[in-house]
Amino acid sequence: MVVAALGAALFIFGDRIQAAETSFPIYFPDSKLVVKADVTNRTVYVPIKEIIAHTGLPFTDSVALETLTIRSGSNQLVITKNSALISFNGQIILLPSPILREDNRWLAPVEFLTMGLSKMTGSAFRYRPGTARIFVGNVDVPELEMNAQTLGPITRLTLRSAAPINLELKRDDPLKPVLTINRGPLDPVRERIDHRDRLLRSVTYDDSDGESKLILDVTRDVADVRITPANNNRIFFVDLLRTGEAVTAAPPPTEPPATATAKADAPATNRRVRVVVIDPGHGGMDTGARTAAGSEKDLTLTLARRLRTALQARLGATVLLTRDSDVALDNEARSAVANNNQANLFVSLHIGYSADKMEAASSIYIMKDGYGDASSEAGGKDQLFLPWYLGYKVHRQGSRTAANILQQELAKGISGWKFPIRHAPLAVLSSATMPSVLIEVGNLNNTVNAQTLLETDFQTRLINAMVDAIHRFSESPQAAAN
Amino acid sequence: MPRHIKIGLIVLGIGFSVALGFFVDVIGRVQSVIKDESETEENPFQPPAQPLYDPTDPPVSVKLFFPSASGDPLLAVEDETIFKSSELTNRALQILQKVQDGPRKGGMFPALPKETKVQEIFISEQGTAIVNFSNTLATNHPGGVESELATIYSIVNSVTYNLPEIKEVKILIGGVEKETLAGHCLLLLPLQMDLSVTNATPRVENTASVR
Repeated sequence: MVVAALGAALFIFGDRIQAAETSFPIYFPDSKLVVKADVTNRTVYVPIKEIIAHTGLPFTDSVALETLTIRSGSNQLVITKNSALISFNGQIILLPSPILREDNRWLAPVEFLTMGLSKMTGSAFRYRPGTARIFVGNVDVPELEMNAQTLGPITRLTLRSAAPINLELKRDDPLKPVLTINRGPLDPVRERIDHRDRLLRSVTYDDSDGESKLILDVTRDVADVRITPANNNRIFFVDLLRTGEAVTAAPPPTEPPATATAKADAPATNRRVRVVVIDPGHGGMDTGARTAAGSEKDLTLTLARRLRTALQARLGATVLLTRDSDVALDNEARSAVANNNQANLFVSLHIGYSADKMEAASSIYIMKDGYGDASSEAGGKDQLFLPWYLGYKVHRQGSRTAANILQQELAKGISGWKFPIRHAPLAVLSSATMPSVLIEVGNLNNTVNAQTLLETDFQTRLINAMVDAIHRFSESPQAAAN
Repeated sequence: MPRHIKIGLIVLGIGFSVALGFFVDVIGRVQSVIKDESETEENPFQPPAQPLYDPTDPPVSVKLFFPSASGDPLLAVEDETIFKSSELTNRALQILQKVQDGPRKGGMFPALPKETKVQEIFISEQGTAIVNFSNTLATNHPGGVESELATIYSIVNSVTYNLPEIKEVKILIGGVEKETLAGHCLLLLPLQMDLSVTNATPRVENTASVR
């Protein structure tokens, strides 16, 4: 009897039990209103009297007739209690759920705003199901994109905004760092991302109080959160560093002066190469070649940082490094940085090492033609998923062009050095879905050669030649096709 | 003694004998397994019981590829001689052992890092040679893209150039598949001959294959 009674109660009051109150900001072009919305069975009910009052439209609430009449000039909108039908100038509009009246509050499904009230105000109410906010009229709402990826010992959250923003970090609760965004409303592509690695569990966009912020759910292993802005504050890298990692991590990259970037950004709209990802080879425990002259991992990072600064100033492109500190990354994580950021060019930097102390050869590598063809053909048409190492095929011709231009510019810029183009099955290039090359410079085992590689003058010539090449590549048809 | 006790004792005796026999057998098996494991650990590379060629097999010249000192082209060629064994696997092993021994001429470097051994080879019907090297192929490798590329194509070209039945070579290290040799070059898939890294001309059909 008791179970039956509980079941009956659940059946009868189930709807109300599932109701949950949530804050619901409505962004008008010059103001904002935060209302309490009821979510019942996935239908969002908003208190419409507060909203109508905010718009300044006159209305009449008739208790006896159980109707609410809204007027604007000669237009009239009438809603009735417990009815999904509303009348706009005598024309009937059907809402997906009936309008409720409880405790002197009129509650209407959110579609009432988009289908009904927008006709009265003349401004569109934009609502995307699954979100908890509405934009009214021509309010300026840049998109916000979030991506999280595990890069060896660190976890990187990449934020891309269509307009410049500023981030401020608050770590009142060490497990819930909050990134406050000091800009008006934003339109997040995803409300929440679940990452679940050793440092980051999830990131949630929250503007329930009308202020945009990101709430990070992190683990106890996070010792430090480092924010690095890029591209005139349109891109932010939020790096979560583990205990001990903060000590070894290099300082954030030094961005070129804002004026220089702003000047370079001007012709950016016509640019074919918008995002370049540079991959400093090796890092962390993986030192690469190491001799008395130094480690490959340090030299590649130095060159990559200099190349970034030069490219930003010359091309005005967004230039990202796969690593900006002494951390180890696997090959897939490196190409993933380029793929995730829709890079137009991926350049992996390496320093050579030969057992022959007299050798001083350099090479430009592109992915070997036909690598993986046999296995993909064996899969036939029934193959459901293509192996990720075939990603290079998408821009094979673009990679060739980039390598040819690099070869010409490097030969011109560094006389006496040869840069033959070689084709190799390279892990770091195989899954990069954009034109991608790997450059291996010199021989660290050759004392004279190693000394040259460390000279600032030589590095400048090398960087300038590469910048010239990337500039030329950005004007090629292959860059346009990318 | 009553008859039923006698029968009971006989049954017990038989049961005890069977149990004892089973116990001895199990002990023997366990000891033989332990012995096998210790032998495997002491000597992971079991040399083939049969010689790689017959004394009557005719000699045949092969071209071996080794990293060139100049670096351009990446690989230089050395002429060597093996014996034309009737077994394809044995011919492949002879070639790989020559690669393992390193070049005799100057102007070339060893293709494999120190202490690296060819442990076994298996050739599929489709012409894929799966070659297993000792762990030192990766652990003793100096690294670097050019150096890894030279090692890989010294192996692949030396086998496929001389043995047309072998279309491609898949390299295993320490008996397992590795993503890369030493961080750069992919070993996920079998690799075909690539003469673009050498000055060698495409092979003619006078190779070490048996027709």
